[in-house]
Amino acid sequence: MSIALEQVTKRYQGQPVVNDVSLNVAEGEFFVLLGPSGSGKSTLLRAIAGLVDIDQGSIALHGSDVTQVGARQRGVGFVFQHYALFRHLTVAENIEFALRVRRMKAADRRARRAELLKLVALEGMDQRLPAQLSGGQQQRVAVARALAHKPQVLLLDEPFGALDAKIREELRRTIRIVQRELGITTVLVTHDQEEAFALADRIGVMNLGRLLEVGAPRDLYARPATRFVATFLGAANLLLAQQGPEGMRFGTTPVDASVRQPVPTGREHEVVTVLRPEEIELATEREKLSSSYIARAVVEEMQFTGALERLRLKLLDNQQALQATSGSGEARIEVTRAQPERRALPLAIGDVITLGARRLHVLPTPLSSFAIYAAEAAAQALTDAPLLATLAARMKTRVATCADAAAASSEPAITPGVAVIAADATAPERAAQLLRAGANEVLLLNADTALPQQVCMYWADDAARHATLAVAASLLRHLPAEALCIATAPAGRRDPLRAQALRALLDARSEARAAHALETRTELVPGEGPSAVADFLSGLAAPLLVLGAADTTAAHAALNLLNARLPAMPVMLVYREGRG
Amino acid sequence: MRWRREPSVIPGFGITFGFSTFFLCALVLLPLSALVAKGAGMDWQRFVAVVTDPRAVASYRLSFGASLVAASINIVFGFIVAWTLVRYRFPGRRFIDAIIDMPFALPTAVSGLALSAVFAANGWLGQYLEPYGIKVVYAPLGITIALTLIGMPFVVRTVQPALEELPRDVEEAAATLGASPFYTFIRVILPAVLPAMLTGFTLAFARAVGEYGSITFIAGNIPMQTEITPLLIIIRLDEYDYAAAAAIGCVMLAISFAMLLAINLLQLWGRRRVSASARR
Repeated sequence: MSIALEQVTKRYQGQPVVNDVSLNVAEGEFFVLLGPSGSGKSTLLRAIAGLVDIDQGSIALHGSDVTQVGARQRGVGFVFQHYALFRHLTVAENIEFALRVRRMKAADRRARRAELLKLVALEGMDQRLPAQLSGGQQQRVAVARALAHKPQVLLLDEPFGALDAKIREELRRTIRIVQRELGITTVLVTHDQEEAFALADRIGVMNLGRLLEVGAPRDLYARPATRFVATFLGAANLLLAQQGPEGMRFGTTPVDASVRQPVPTGREHEVVTVLRPEEIELATEREKLSSSYIARAVVEEMQFTGALERLRLKLLDNQQALQATSGSGEARIEVTRAQPERRALPLAIGDVITLGARRLHVLPTPLSSFAIYAAEAAAQALTDAPLLATLAARMKTRVATCADAAAASSEPAITPGVAVIAADATAPERAAQLLRAGANEVLLLNADTALPQQVCMYWADDAARHATLAVAASLLRHLPAEALCIATAPAGRRDPLRAQALRALLDARSEARAAHALETRTELVPGEGPSAVADFLSGLAAPLLVLGAADTTAAHAALNLLNARLPAMPVMLVYREGRG
Repeated sequence: MRWRREPSVIPGFGITFGFSTFFLCALVLLPLSALVAKGAGMDWQRFVAVVTDPRAVASYRLSFGASLVAASINIVFGFIVAWTLVRYRFPGRRFIDAIIDMPFALPTAVSGLALSAVFAANGWLGQYLEPYGIKVVYAPLGITIALTLIGMPFVVRTVQPALEELPRDVEEAAATLGASPFYTFIRVILPAVLPAMLTGFTLAFARAVGEYGSITFIAGNIPMQTEITPLLIIIRLDEYDYAAAAAIGCVMLAISFAMLLAINLLQLWGRRRVSASARR
């Protein structure tokens, strides 16, 4: 491995900006770190270069640990967004800077400089000063300078950010050629997905300090695992569907098996599907669709963008089922069409048409939407709770309210999605009722519940482990919090139960890493059961507990205890019936 | 050279140029010419005798020597102060930033008085220096200290913006290229702020050469030892020897002008290297 990051964490004023990132970049690979501004991608890159000290984890370059080594000794090539050329030195002096530092002979320096200038297509510019060059040329000089001392790793921090589109493309090509020619391991940071697609062998998508997904551009685009990657890499419509043993349906409309990948089915549950704008077919009536019918819609907005036509449609039916993009309001669908399609069926604003899906991708997330079970005023307060509001906005999902005077009875009607209830004294009993009625996840919170700083996972019954990890991983993609796996064991050092608990924790950690790309810390708490967990949690600043349970009575008991000890703590109860 | 520029807020080139010329003539050139005329009023031999009088020569040496030393001290410590203010955030930073300007606002006589209080043989610091034979008051050392005090803000205030403009990533670039902090300072930071430092040096030096108020208190004005040129001029004036005063003034003017010109040329050369026919 050329670059190996192991659980790297960097905090600014207590807030993690890089949160438990592990990553391996292979020799000669062109890796692109992609993410919105503030996602921690630049900080991570600077940490690799040694320009930023990390708080936890380790960084290895070519097999040797460089965590404690300064930028000067790491000897990587680094290209800055604003070039960072030495303005009082000529192009030649800039490029030779690293060689001069290394006391290379003048003749050798000159030869190397000529070589580099040829590589970046700037021959004959030796004696210019940076101020006499255009932005694109300056960045070429910066690339040549970064390569002068033959580094084994080249790092580029938004190198095209300050350039205009034409020059950007040209320079992009140059960098790709240089990288291929030298076979140098390269990491480039950008917020531009087009750039990432054009350059990368592999892309790593970051958000809120976490590395969410890593993969080849095609795979990430076609089969994203998270909402964020689905919507950040290109445009995507997120739709809620029902997945059951007999197939998938939007509301009452069944979806053809041909347009979706098979998903393991059990009890019917809500899923999040990704429908790319270019995978939508438009037709005047349902019979003319060659793909799976979804709904009727009216054209609301049209945009000409050259090669493509962009449409915004308002759904006329199936609204509730399809509405995944906003808490309230009506569902909008984005469609792009190529020119031939547009010529075949010209549209105007206000036209009513039918939509078909050519290809659907089901996200593997267990969290689809939220449904609040409370009387109206209380429901509104819960909707506005910082935790729930943030989650709903970042997950781009629906928060439904089940005004449930009837639901206070023992048999509430279940709405799809995560059930949300107020964490008052009756909450444990309500949660147990909801589980019995068929809910899979119940979120207990207060109207003032803020964003947690730690998301802790605990399950007493191993049958609930998969689901607990999946739910926690899904939550953590939207919260910049620490991930912590908890298990309890008797304090005795030689106790066989202790070794067993430790093994279970490590298993859980590797499962989280393999199945959800989630890095977690582990904590073995002395004591037994929920009360020991409560002891531990009371020492944390702002925890959220993801509590896995495999039977309702145990869940009820655990909730009762936690609710008494830590009434202000939000709890996500995850229920999966024991197998067999 | 373009005589006419694009329309701007300030009306036409003609008016502004005319005003600038008038302003310079009336306030700078005219009085200076009068000085030269006055000095030229006496015959050549007497002029030479006056300006080469050992007492006058000693005063030149002290005035320009102490000013050079003071400006040199300022350039080092002024840079450090500016660096601290620009690069670090610490409690009381605004306060220190405000204190820098104090010597600007203080009547120089007050600075002199204050310094004598501190450095006099029985002063706060003077009493500890005295036993070691370090004499500050009534010695060239005291003059240098006073000139350093009044010149300090010039260096800090000129270097500060230059440092603020210096991008941080340039230092990081030097580090990733393998340069040590010292090498980075010498090869990257210093060249970038050198023009500003020279400007600060020039201003501090010019201010020091003309300083009079604070020195009279701390220098003791012993002829041949702690007598600065401006003081000598005052003494000549007190003797109603206007011609002699003007003659010494002319010499001062000539030396100052020569030095400022030299520094300006040096700066011009440096700036041309940095931004050569800037932005094409």
